[in-house]
Amino acid sequence: MTGNGHRTIPTGAALRVKALEALLEEKGLVDPQALDAIVDTYETKVGPRNGARVVAKAWTDPAFRKRLLADATAAVAELGIAGPEGEHLVAVENTPSVHNLIVCTLCSCYPWPVLGLPPVWYKSFAYRSRAVRDPRGLLREFGLELPDDVEIRVWDASAEQRYMVIPERPAGTVGMSEEELAELVTRDSMVGVAKIAPPARGSSR
Amino acid sequence: MKPQELLAGTRFEREEQVFGAPWEARAFAIARRMTEAGICTWDEFRACLIEEIGAADRARISGGTPAADVYYTHFLGALEKTLAKKGIVDASAIEAKMREIVESG
Repeated sequence: MTGNGHRTIPTGAALRVKALEALLEEKGLVDPQALDAIVDTYETKVGPRNGARVVAKAWTDPAFRKRLLADATAAVAELGIAGPEGEHLVAVENTPSVHNLIVCTLCSCYPWPVLGLPPVWYKSFAYRSRAVRDPRGLLREFGLELPDDVEIRVWDASAEQRYMVIPERPAGTVGMSEEELAELVTRDSMVGVAKIAPPARGSSR
Repeated sequence: MKPQELLAGTRFEREEQVFGAPWEARAFAIARRMTEAGICTWDEFRACLIEEIGAADRARISGGTPAADVYYTHFLGALEKTLAKKGIVDASAIEAKMREIVESG
């Protein structure tokens, strides 16, 4: 708060961004409403629920799964999912013998249309450096212990390509609808730092 | 135990908030707007971001303390550098505007 107590003056980075926004607004390059709309989009509309729908459909529709693995950008567009950072999307599939993990070692590239913006840990030095050097140890820290005979494939986002993991469908889900299945799919499973647990019996209803 | 609870104590803290502070959201939105408006491409911005993050990574690897340890600090640095390269705004203009905001506060 300021001395007169009327309003809060931003400091540090907040002040810097406010100044930058004011300058760009004076030049007619941004307006506050447009910025609000962008923030709202990424906070509420674009997120891992989209990816969960994709995974659930891949589990229940073999023809879709095939199209998804062949050209993920085109396949997710069938579900109305598209946008920046999704132009060259590649879906990689976990199996009992192969586990996939995604990372961007240089910065923070991430498939926004299906997963939203990346979590803080995805952008951390620890994650970026260890995903390639010691993926098995890294996954152990996430609570995921993989048997030695499971091959771990690490996908580093390139200049263009963005990856998403299609996790394995958990046991105990026979007969569940696509919507129910989508509820089980977590963001972490689509990054490859977690598996999807079988649904808890009798706990939710 | 749910996975989220299981992971709660690990070194990679769980958080579901997209942005850690309003200024981060604002900086992100400005960067998106600049690419939508054709001021720069996202690739040009990303190249600056990789430089900022790379400098901090190298400082960390060589045992020093990076100048900043927060992703969005690098993000903001990259945004400013991109806009300076494009001749839109430079650091001195930003600092002058910061003073103006504080003084009119």
